[in-house]
Amino acid sequence: MSFDVLFSQFMSGIARAALLFLVASGLSLTFGVLRVLNFAHGSLYMLGAFLSYSIWKLLLMPVLGFYVAAIIAALIMAAIGILIEFVLLRRLYARGWPEQLLSTYAIVLIITDLVKWAWGGEFLSIPRPRPFTGAVSLFGFPFPSYNFFVILLGLGLVVFLWWLVYKTRFGDIIRAAAHDREMVSALGIPIPWLFTWIFVLGAFIAGLSGAVTAPFGSVALGMDMEIIIECFAVVVIGGMGSLPGTLLGSFIVGEVYAFGIMFKPELALAFIFMVMAVVLIIRPWGIFGRPER
Amino acid sequence: MRKFAMLTVLVFILSIISVSVVMAQAKKAAPAATKEPIKIGAIYDFAGGCHMYSESGVKGIKIALDEINSKGGILGRKLDLVVRDTEAKVDVAVREVKDLILREKVNFLIGPCSSGTGLAMQVVHSEYKILRIPPIANTEAQTVDKFTPYVVQVVPNTYMEAIAATRYLNKKVPTAKKFCTIGPDYEFGRREETAFAEEIKRLVPGAEIVYEAWPKLGEKDFTAFITAIMAKKPDAVHGSLFGGDLVSFTKQAAPYGFFEKTPFIALYDFPVLLALGPDAPEGTFGFGRGCFFMDPNPKMMEFVGKYRKFTGAYPDGWAVQNYDAIYLLKAAIEKAKTIDTDAVVKAIEGMPFEGLRQKFTIRALDHMGTVPCYQGTIAKDPNYPFKIWKDITRVPGDQVIRPEASVREIWKKTGVVR
Repeated sequence: MSFDVLFSQFMSGIARAALLFLVASGLSLTFGVLRVLNFAHGSLYMLGAFLSYSIWKLLLMPVLGFYVAAIIAALIMAAIGILIEFVLLRRLYARGWPEQLLSTYAIVLIITDLVKWAWGGEFLSIPRPRPFTGAVSLFGFPFPSYNFFVILLGLGLVVFLWWLVYKTRFGDIIRAAAHDREMVSALGIPIPWLFTWIFVLGAFIAGLSGAVTAPFGSVALGMDMEIIIECFAVVVIGGMGSLPGTLLGSFIVGEVYAFGIMFKPELALAFIFMVMAVVLIIRPWGIFGRPER
Repeated sequence: MRKFAMLTVLVFILSIISVSVVMAQAKKAAPAATKEPIKIGAIYDFAGGCHMYSESGVKGIKIALDEINSKGGILGRKLDLVVRDTEAKVDVAVREVKDLILREKVNFLIGPCSSGTGLAMQVVHSEYKILRIPPIANTEAQTVDKFTPYVVQVVPNTYMEAIAATRYLNKKVPTAKKFCTIGPDYEFGRREETAFAEEIKRLVPGAEIVYEAWPKLGEKDFTAFITAIMAKKPDAVHGSLFGGDLVSFTKQAAPYGFFEKTPFIALYDFPVLLALGPDAPEGTFGFGRGCFFMDPNPKMMEFVGKYRKFTGAYPDGWAVQNYDAIYLLKAAIEKAKTIDTDAVVKAIEGMPFEGLRQKFTIRALDHMGTVPCYQGTIAKDPNYPFKIWKDITRVPGDQVIRPEASVREIWKKTGVVR
């Protein structure tokens, strides 16, 4: 097997990893600080994709339309994030896991029916935006330029989140709150306000990643569940709530899947969960995660 | 006095006449009023990739029912419709079908979309002796492997569809010897690709399938499959991808120059072409089960008019085949002169039928219709604001239906006695 073939497959894996990271980072962030496993994260992503489609259609802007639509959709998702946090999540922080899972699963069902009602079952599609319509040549092998855009966006998000979490005062508070909620509260920092912002940020990322996938494939019902299961694998492997962990988890899942497809396509999906099982046995809290206290 | 007596007699006679007339009318009207409507249960999968197909299918059913009811129904009985959702889950499908039969007391079933839910419900309604026509779900197992008299098929099954598509691909690229396949990893995709492998080896001596890709149903990112296929440098690729999955695949494969390098055939039907818009790859091959641009006969175009009046959009094939299913049922009931399931099943066996896709017959052996399969090449058309097909082939079902001997051979293995 020649180098260019393997390299091309490796790049396919990177492209998938970038997409997974976009979605999983939001999931991991909300879990890391809020300690809520947001099952509805995939639904926020799906709603973001549908919204971006409709906004793109309304805008009728040939070049900038998609980018503007993606940002508006992400902002709308952020607003919906405020609503969800205020109405539901706020009441769940003190509750146990089963209630959190059930309640966020309720959001999954609500959003699915909302999408069915508003958009029906059609599968929709946005053409790739300029200038990312074609492909670039990598060692003589074509690579879609839109995938580059997704990878760049993923890297941008990594840098932004790293800066936010490790270099700002807001980040200090986030890390402190993730470590010891009561202590931070005792210092006079309004925890509910902090949590709202974290959840809104997570919803914004979900909406943005949904919008970014719209030109990549098709926008259709069921895309929420399709992505959330792989994202769980990502955060379990990398470690819940850890930014470097999510990055590594996305990379592992993307590459294992890509090379699985090449060498043993029937088992490609199973390989991901085998890796997950191995990680769970050796380090139940994930590669970069911290054991629960 | 005589005059008065005459008048009394006259009044008496008149009243008798009028009463008898009224009674006669009442007699005439009474059976119609007490005649119960015929109940049809449409069971579909309103979830995931099947949601849209199911919606279109139900629209086709509704248009047919409205037409039939406005002309007095079947055997003077109106048609009622109950729609149920399986959520594309096998357990829900079984529960809903039981409920339709036992509580709603439906006389006939139409649906579903997924071959998976279709096979699950087959056991249940066969037990209760209720006839089902599945105008979308087309796994061959419904009529062959798990044959039951209570299923009648009006769309090409996976075998017929794949055989016809394989022949078209072979006609278009006769020199191709090295193939890859890509199909959704469930009942439908597995069956289509198996039939492709059988047929291509019959058509091309020394044909080789060098790689099989099995993405899961609902896959969003096909990039790794595309690079893996292209690494094998196949002469042609057979796909059984459909719907949103095919839209995703097409958009992701285009930047790799996949469609310029590789002859490819897949289920590029009307909804997929519509969703892809300018991204639909011209020159790539498609197969389908019959819609307006595949078979623009007068009856079909008349239906297009009705459908556009009803919904404002062009009908896809899924609406066409559901519409045909209802009219086939009507023809069978009228032939049997009863709605008794066994009598209707008997009437339907070997019955010729002319629908939107022209003439076909329901084969008595396995209740498989000799319905046409269509293939074409994606192209622009000045008459439509979306891409359609050119070089269209209409393969009559009897050319691709599984031969009786082959069906019986499978029955020997699966234990069907007939």
